[in-house]
Amino acid sequence: MSWLRISLTAFAISAALPVHAQTVTITTAGGDYGNAIKEAMWGPAAKELGYDVREETQSDGLAALKMQVTSGAVTTDVIHLGSPEGAQAAAQSLLEPLDYKIIDPKSVPDGAKSDYCYPFDSYGTVMSWNTKTYGQNPPKTWAEFWDVAKFSGRRALRANAQDSIEIALLSDGVAPADVYSVLSTPEGLERAIKRLEAIKPNVAVWWTSGAQSAQLLKDGEADLVITWNGRAQTVKADGGAADYTFKGSVIGTDCLGVPKGAPNKEAAMKLIAAMTQPARVAKLTDFIAYGPVNPAAYEGGLIPADRLKTLATAPENAGTSVFSNSEWWVKNGEAAQRAFDEMMAR
Amino acid sequence: MTVVRDPALAADARRERRFFLSLSLPALFIVGLAAILPILWIIRQSFLTTGGEYTVGNYQKVLSSGLTWSALVTTLELSLGTLAACILLGTPLALALASVRPRLANVLMAFVMLPLWTSILVRTYGWLVLLRRDGLINAALTGSGLTAEPLPLVYNFTGTLIGMVHYMLPLFLLPVYAAMRDIDPNLIRAAASMGATLRQVIRTVIMPLSAGGIFSGSIIVLIYAIGFFITPAVLGGGKVNPLSTRIERTLSTFQDWGSASVLGILLLVLMALIGVMLLAARRLVAQNTVEASHA
Repeated sequence: MSWLRISLTAFAISAALPVHAQTVTITTAGGDYGNAIKEAMWGPAAKELGYDVREETQSDGLAALKMQVTSGAVTTDVIHLGSPEGAQAAAQSLLEPLDYKIIDPKSVPDGAKSDYCYPFDSYGTVMSWNTKTYGQNPPKTWAEFWDVAKFSGRRALRANAQDSIEIALLSDGVAPADVYSVLSTPEGLERAIKRLEAIKPNVAVWWTSGAQSAQLLKDGEADLVITWNGRAQTVKADGGAADYTFKGSVIGTDCLGVPKGAPNKEAAMKLIAAMTQPARVAKLTDFIAYGPVNPAAYEGGLIPADRLKTLATAPENAGTSVFSNSEWWVKNGEAAQRAFDEMMAR
Repeated sequence: MTVVRDPALAADARRERRFFLSLSLPALFIVGLAAILPILWIIRQSFLTTGGEYTVGNYQKVLSSGLTWSALVTTLELSLGTLAACILLGTPLALALASVRPRLANVLMAFVMLPLWTSILVRTYGWLVLLRRDGLINAALTGSGLTAEPLPLVYNFTGTLIGMVHYMLPLFLLPVYAAMRDIDPNLIRAAASMGATLRQVIRTVIMPLSAGGIFSGSIIVLIYAIGFFITPAVLGGGKVNPLSTRIERTLSTFQDWGSASVLGILLLVLMALIGVMLLAARRLVAQNTVEASHA
């Protein structure tokens, strides 16, 4: 089969000697997280593919995506979004369908699969606390987090309905498996909002960015903070008087999508496939405690055993968690946010 | 001066006027491009659905929402609170600056202006360091035993107001100081020689004559304060939500450009209303002052 050999050689030569480098623009959230994604994922992938990858940072990916697509001036090829935003973007037809001929469809577990935004890592929205305030006896459940008589102290919550309403229901005795079926009824949403309203007088700060939540925890401005596990872990690792638990966490995923009308669509698909290879998403945990979605990344000791404990998706952390349901959020997000905002304004 | 009758001279004068007008064209062009066009675009946007069809639904949605009105109330509370604090703190300060020797006044003025040259973000985070629970001020208060518990100075209305007043005070001070500097000292001497007490001098001479400066300062404060975003976002702790943060929320959480545009227009209308009210008030005061001086 010499023709095969010839075409393979030709392919190898053309790959090894690119006439001019393919440019691809990626948009991430920036900061430590954006840097981690660069170092572990797209940096090595770009080198392998011979791409010239340019980075843009946007703290609000969906707003930026919408602006680019609706104005017809799409400059980014790959965009990093939270999966609920990814689902929302897909519903508003802001994303190209993923090319699962280029990206391995088996790399995503069935429950997390998306046609438009490729989920690559996961995080938990967790309970964290100041160890100076609570010592060896912090709240252990969300019900205790809500128990202001037993655990006095200043709370900090995210100024967003996302994850907050799920946690509010968990604190009210709803089982993790039932959270979304309860939330889907009007009374269920109201129950969650009422629960948040009950703790509102004890909330010192409603934070708006992950970095801010970490600062509040580190400075002791708040004693009990609902935040993302990566942020809590960073504060703890930096020697802050803080700890956190995965018990009752809400697990969410982040994803990569290709904006509708992206200038380098095919190269973008190839970059997504290459940057999410098991070894690379496993490597991401060197920088930040966000665990891979791809089950293959947990095999072969790619992630050291002691680090597994710091990941929301680690086997031993499963069971009490709720998996954030992107579809629910696309359908009910606006009503939930509005109810949340109205509660805040009361 | 006599009116120009010579046709050649008149043509010359017309040419000169045209030339001066043409000088302003670049500025008019920039203003048109940078201010008028975006406003027209926002007005158009406010009548569009997310699908791009014309609608008045955005107005119905925004104006019927309780969130809009509570944001409006917060905006007014913050702006008027800032204005009140600026008048209470800034007027005596301007008076003091206007009454010391010019060289000392220049040095003091430099201190007042210093914050103006610092980025608003830096200043806002600076306040966070000072005001937070274990910040410098609370550490001093609890350390000296003045208060048992740290005071809630930030992540609330108080903190937001402190940050805003700090930003606005120099901008308020400038026109007030300028007006007070221009008061003829002989008027004050005359009043004093007629037996007026200090309080009477301030009330009957200084305040009426610096009213123009105070009004200019107030307009500047209100126009800025209505649109403040960073300060409430950082120092408000999510609890202080004026129209500006409502606009951001509408854009980032709801991606609802139509409603955000309506909120933007609401802000513009509010600004115009306040401008008109202040100008009317200024005219009234000016009239009263004239009548009072004739009486």
